[in-house]
Amino acid sequence: MLGFTAPARLCSSLALRNKKMATKTPSLLERSIETIINIFHKYSVEGGHPDTLSQGEFKKLVKTDLANFLKKEKRKDELINDIMEDLDTDLNKQLSFEEFVILMAKMVHATHEKMHEHNSRGHNHSHGSGLGK
Amino acid sequence: MLSELEKALENIVNVYHQYSGTKGNHHALYRDDLKKLLTTECPEFIQKKNAETLFKELDVNQDNAVNFEEFLVLMIKVGLAAHEDSHKGC
Repeated sequence: MLGFTAPARLCSSLALRNKKMATKTPSLLERSIETIINIFHKYSVEGGHPDTLSQGEFKKLVKTDLANFLKKEKRKDELINDIMEDLDTDLNKQLSFEEFVILMAKMVHATHEKMHEHNSRGHNHSHGSGLGK
Repeated sequence: MLSELEKALENIVNVYHQYSGTKGNHHALYRDDLKKLLTTECPEFIQKKNAETLFKELDVNQDNAVNFEEFLVLMIKVGLAAHEDSHKGC
Protein backbone atom coordinates (compact mmCIF):
# COMPACT_ATOMS: atom_id res chain seq x y z
CA MET A 1 0.00 0.00 0.00
CA LEU A 2 1.21 3.46 -0.78
CA GLY A 3 3.10 5.21 1.96
CA PHE A 4 2.71 2.30 4.31
CA THR A 5 5.25 2.23 7.11
CA ALA A 6 5.48 -1.03 8.96
CA PRO A 7 7.20 -1.49 12.29
CA ALA A 8 10.66 -3.03 11.92
CA ARG A 9 9.53 -6.27 13.50
CA LEU A 10 7.01 -6.82 10.74
CA CYS A 11 9.23 -6.09 7.78
CA SER A 12 12.28 -3.88 7.62
CA SER A 13 12.34 -3.50 3.86
CA LEU A 14 8.70 -2.49 3.64
CA ALA A 15 9.01 1.25 4.29
CA LEU A 16 11.65 1.67 1.62
CA ARG A 17 9.77 -0.41 -0.93
CA ASN A 18 6.56 1.50 -0.45
CA LYS A 19 8.34 4.83 -0.64
CA LYS A 20 9.53 3.83 -4.10
CA MET A 21 5.99 2.86 -5.10
CA ALA A 22 4.43 6.12 -3.98
CA THR A 23 4.56 7.74 -7.39
CA LYS A 24 1.23 9.53 -7.23
CA THR A 25 -1.06 10.82 -4.54
CA PRO A 26 -3.20 8.02 -3.10
CA SER A 27 -6.98 8.39 -3.41
CA LEU A 28 -9.29 8.94 -0.44
CA LEU A 29 -10.27 5.24 -0.49
CA GLU A 30 -6.61 4.15 -0.61
CA ARG A 31 -5.69 6.47 2.24
CA SER A 32 -8.63 5.25 4.33
CA ILE A 33 -7.71 1.61 3.81
CA GLU A 34 -4.08 2.38 4.53
CA THR A 35 -5.15 3.87 7.87
CA ILE A 36 -7.08 0.68 8.72
CA ILE A 37 -4.01 -1.47 7.91
CA ASN A 38 -1.61 0.81 9.80
CA ILE A 39 -3.76 0.86 12.94
CA PHE A 40 -4.16 -2.95 12.78
CA HIS A 41 -0.37 -3.42 12.51
CA LYS A 42 0.32 -0.83 15.22
CA TYR A 43 -1.23 -3.24 17.75
CA SER A 44 -0.65 -6.61 16.04
CA VAL A 45 3.15 -6.25 16.27
CA GLU A 46 3.14 -5.61 20.02
CA GLY A 47 3.50 -9.20 21.18
CA GLY A 48 2.93 -12.78 20.07
CA HIS A 49 2.22 -13.19 16.39
CA PRO A 50 3.12 -9.91 14.62
CA ASP A 51 0.20 -10.06 12.16
CA THR A 52 -2.68 -10.97 14.49
CA LEU A 53 -4.38 -9.18 17.37
CA SER A 54 -4.46 -10.88 20.75
CA GLN A 55 -7.35 -10.14 23.10
CA GLY A 56 -5.23 -7.52 24.89
CA GLU A 57 -4.13 -5.88 21.65
CA PHE A 58 -7.69 -5.78 20.34
CA LYS A 59 -8.90 -4.26 23.60
CA LYS A 60 -6.30 -1.52 23.36
CA LEU A 61 -7.24 -0.80 19.75
CA VAL A 62 -10.95 -0.49 20.60
CA LYS A 63 -10.32 1.75 23.62
CA THR A 64 -7.89 4.03 21.76
CA ASP A 65 -8.94 4.08 18.12
CA LEU A 66 -12.66 3.25 18.25
CA ALA A 67 -13.37 5.16 21.46
CA ASN A 68 -16.17 7.25 19.91
CA PHE A 69 -17.71 4.58 17.66
CA LEU A 70 -17.78 1.97 20.44
CA LYS A 71 -18.39 4.25 23.40
CA LYS A 72 -20.48 1.78 25.38
CA GLU A 73 -18.23 -1.17 24.60
CA LYS A 74 -15.12 0.81 25.50
CA ARG A 75 -16.10 0.83 29.18
CA LYS A 76 -17.02 -2.84 29.41
CA ASP A 77 -14.35 -5.45 28.79
CA GLU A 78 -17.01 -8.19 28.47
CA LEU A 79 -18.53 -6.35 25.52
CA ILE A 80 -15.16 -6.02 23.78
CA ASN A 81 -14.47 -9.71 24.41
CA ASP A 82 -17.86 -10.56 22.93
CA ILE A 83 -17.09 -8.58 19.74
CA MET A 84 -13.79 -10.43 19.49
CA GLU A 85 -15.41 -13.85 19.96
CA ASP A 86 -17.88 -12.98 17.21
CA LEU A 87 -15.11 -12.01 14.78
CA ASP A 88 -12.79 -14.93 15.64
CA THR A 89 -14.24 -17.39 13.15
CA ASP A 90 -11.35 -19.86 13.34
CA LEU A 91 -11.58 -19.86 17.16
CA ASN A 92 -7.83 -19.35 17.72
CA LYS A 93 -8.28 -16.44 20.19
CA GLN A 94 -6.49 -14.13 17.76
CA LEU A 95 -7.83 -11.78 15.09
CA SER A 96 -6.23 -11.96 11.68
CA PHE A 97 -6.62 -8.99 9.35
CA GLU A 98 -9.20 -11.05 7.43
CA GLU A 99 -11.30 -11.35 10.60
CA PHE A 100 -10.69 -7.75 11.72
CA VAL A 101 -11.75 -6.20 8.40
CA ILE A 102 -15.30 -7.47 9.02
CA LEU A 103 -15.52 -5.19 12.07
CA MET A 104 -14.37 -2.30 9.88
CA ALA A 105 -17.14 -3.02 7.36
CA LYS A 106 -19.68 -3.26 10.19
CA MET A 107 -18.52 0.09 11.56
CA VAL A 108 -18.79 1.76 8.13
CA HIS A 109 -22.31 0.34 7.86
CA ALA A 110 -23.26 1.44 11.39
CA THR A 111 -22.00 5.00 10.94
CA HIS A 112 -23.90 5.28 7.62
CA GLU A 113 -27.09 4.05 9.34
CA LYS A 114 -26.58 6.70 12.03
CA MET A 115 -26.13 9.37 9.33
CA HIS A 116 -29.62 8.47 8.08
CA GLU A 117 -31.28 8.33 11.49
CA HIS A 118 -32.95 11.72 10.92
CA ASN A 119 -31.99 12.28 7.29
CA SER A 120 -33.67 10.98 4.15
CA ARG A 121 -32.31 8.06 2.16
CA GLY A 122 -34.48 8.76 -0.89
CA HIS A 123 -34.76 11.67 -3.31
CA ASN A 124 -33.94 14.23 -0.64
CA HIS A 125 -30.89 12.25 0.38
CA SER A 126 -28.71 13.87 3.04
CA HIS A 127 -26.53 12.82 5.96
CA GLY A 128 -26.57 13.82 9.61
CA SER A 129 -23.69 13.08 11.97
CA GLY A 130 -22.33 9.59 12.10
CA LEU A 131 -21.47 7.52 15.14
CA GLY A 132 -19.68 9.09 18.04
CA LYS A 133 -20.78 12.67 17.62
CA MET B 1 -13.21 14.22 18.37
CA LEU B 2 -13.07 11.26 16.04
CA SER B 3 -9.87 9.21 15.87
CA GLU B 4 -7.89 8.83 12.66
CA LEU B 5 -9.41 5.35 12.21
CA GLU B 6 -12.97 6.60 12.76
CA LYS B 7 -12.41 9.41 10.26
CA ALA B 8 -11.11 6.85 7.75
CA LEU B 9 -14.29 4.77 8.21
CA GLU B 10 -16.48 7.85 7.63
CA ASN B 11 -14.43 8.69 4.56
CA ILE B 12 -15.31 5.30 3.09
CA VAL B 13 -19.00 6.32 3.38
CA ASN B 14 -18.12 9.59 1.62
CA VAL B 15 -16.25 7.84 -1.19
CA TYR B 16 -19.33 5.73 -2.00
CA HIS B 17 -21.63 8.76 -2.11
CA GLN B 18 -19.28 10.72 -4.35
CA TYR B 19 -20.08 8.21 -7.10
CA SER B 20 -23.55 6.98 -6.11
CA GLY B 21 -25.03 10.45 -5.73
CA THR B 22 -24.53 11.58 -9.31
CA LYS B 23 -27.75 10.14 -10.77
CA GLY B 24 -30.78 7.96 -10.13
CA ASN B 25 -31.05 6.29 -6.75
CA HIS B 26 -28.71 7.82 -4.16
CA HIS B 27 -27.65 4.43 -2.87
CA ALA B 28 -26.95 2.86 -6.24
CA LEU B 29 -23.71 2.60 -8.16
CA TYR B 30 -24.60 1.82 -11.76
CA ARG B 31 -22.10 0.10 -14.09
CA ASP B 32 -20.43 3.34 -15.20
CA ASP B 33 -20.44 4.76 -11.65
CA LEU B 34 -18.64 1.68 -10.33
CA LYS B 35 -16.15 1.80 -13.20
CA LYS B 36 -15.40 5.44 -12.41
CA LEU B 37 -15.01 4.67 -8.71
CA LEU B 38 -12.66 1.77 -9.44
CA THR B 39 -10.40 3.64 -11.84
CA THR B 40 -10.27 6.75 -9.66
CA GLU B 41 -10.23 5.29 -6.15
CA CYS B 42 -8.39 1.99 -6.54
CA PRO B 43 -6.48 1.98 -9.84
CA GLU B 44 -3.94 -0.57 -8.59
CA PHE B 45 -6.64 -2.98 -7.44
CA ILE B 46 -8.59 -2.87 -10.71
CA GLN B 47 -5.44 -3.27 -12.81
CA LYS B 48 -5.49 -7.01 -12.29
CA LYS B 49 -9.27 -7.32 -12.52
CA ASN B 50 -12.09 -6.86 -14.99
CA ALA B 51 -14.58 -4.14 -14.02
CA GLU B 52 -17.57 -5.99 -15.50
CA THR B 53 -16.72 -9.25 -13.70
CA LEU B 54 -16.33 -7.33 -10.46
CA PHE B 55 -19.66 -5.54 -11.00
CA LYS B 56 -21.44 -8.89 -11.38
CA GLU B 57 -19.64 -10.25 -8.32
CA LEU B 58 -20.69 -7.31 -6.16
CA ASP B 59 -24.27 -7.04 -7.46
CA VAL B 60 -25.47 -10.12 -5.59
CA ASN B 61 -29.19 -9.37 -5.94
CA GLN B 62 -28.71 -8.76 -9.68
CA ASP B 63 -30.59 -5.46 -9.85
CA ASN B 64 -27.88 -3.90 -12.01
CA ALA B 65 -26.75 -1.58 -9.24
CA VAL B 66 -24.27 -1.85 -6.37
CA ASN B 67 -26.00 -0.68 -3.20
CA PHE B 68 -24.18 0.48 -0.07
CA GLU B 69 -24.13 -2.97 1.53
CA GLU B 70 -22.76 -4.53 -1.65
CA PHE B 71 -20.11 -1.80 -1.80
CA LEU B 72 -18.85 -2.92 1.61
CA VAL B 73 -17.81 -6.19 -0.04
CA LEU B 74 -15.59 -4.16 -2.38
CA MET B 75 -14.12 -2.35 0.63
CA ILE B 76 -13.27 -5.74 2.17
CA LYS B 77 -11.73 -7.02 -1.08
CA VAL B 78 -9.59 -3.89 -1.56
CA GLY B 79 -8.58 -4.00 2.13
CA LEU B 80 -7.47 -7.64 1.90
CA ALA B 81 -5.47 -6.98 -1.28
CA ALA B 82 -3.81 -3.93 0.27
CA HIS B 83 -2.97 -5.84 3.46
CA GLU B 84 -1.43 -8.64 1.42
CA ASP B 85 0.54 -6.07 -0.58
CA SER B 86 1.85 -4.56 2.62
CA HIS B 87 3.65 -7.85 3.35
CA LYS B 88 5.06 -8.43 -0.12
CA GLY B 89 8.82 -8.69 -0.28
CA CYS B 90 9.06 -9.56 3.41
